[in-house]
Amino acid sequence: MVKDGDYVAIFKSVHRVMEAERLLKDRKLPILMIPAPRAIASDCGLGLRYGEEVRREVESALSEAGLLPKELFRKQGEEYLKIQEEP
Amino acid sequence: MKDLDVRGQACPLPVVAVKKALDEGGPLRVLLDDGAPRENVRRFAENRGFSVAEAPCEGGYAFTITGSAAAPAPTAPAPSGRGTVMLIGTDRLGDGPEELGRLLMKNFIMTLVETSQLPDRMYFVNTGVLLTAEGSEVIEALTALGNRGVEVASCGICLDFFQKKDKLAAGIVTNMLTIAESLVTAGSVVRI
Repeated sequence: MVKDGDYVAIFKSVHRVMEAERLLKDRKLPILMIPAPRAIASDCGLGLRYGEEVRREVESALSEAGLLPKELFRKQGEEYLKIQEEP
Repeated sequence: MKDLDVRGQACPLPVVAVKKALDEGGPLRVLLDDGAPRENVRRFAENRGFSVAEAPCEGGYAFTITGSAAAPAPTAPAPSGRGTVMLIGTDRLGDGPEELGRLLMKNFIMTLVETSQLPDRMYFVNTGVLLTAEGSEVIEALTALGNRGVEVASCGICLDFFQKKDKLAAGIVTNMLTIAESLVTAGSVVRI
């Protein structure tokens, strides 16, 4: 479900991940809500997957809406590198 | 040795056909296209404990699949019938808010891809067929399940009812006879 180089954003709650999904889909951005990979601990067990090609648009839309993820990971090989964490 | 020609068939049909032939027993020679069918069939057969020898042939590759399926794990219950059948009769999981039900069903099918023990067949009926048709967000997951040997099949009447007959995007179309026979002969049935 997650390819090398894809991003997985984890949110604080199921409501926030659903809101983020709705917002990004309304903007026709190619994102997919997925079960959080085993290697990533997530309270709600869900994440949003997107590719490098839409990263800027996705993150700017989330930022404008006050829906920045709790954590952001990038898949590299078999690992998920945490590249951003909410302060 | 049985012969099978699945050249020209899109994934996951080659895996489904090879699975059926291997379930019937005996060595198998199968002609298939290069690319995804070649990779998926090899992975499927080797994961099941079979040996695969390949040679180029006209329009693709010829696989000779020999050996026998690996024995199931000792902790696995011995089914009295034929495999595990999952009957999915809705596009939502559980009772409650519609939006949550759809999200849970999506999450369930995607999570299934990550599990080690898979059903042998998944039958989609009623609004369940909306999950296998164009526009569904679980097409990628269902295709991955098909590539791992799960037979994904949708009720033809239901596709017709929802005017999705020409919009099927994962698996094959099946009929009630097949579904009914499969349910009554299954080792276990999981109804969603």
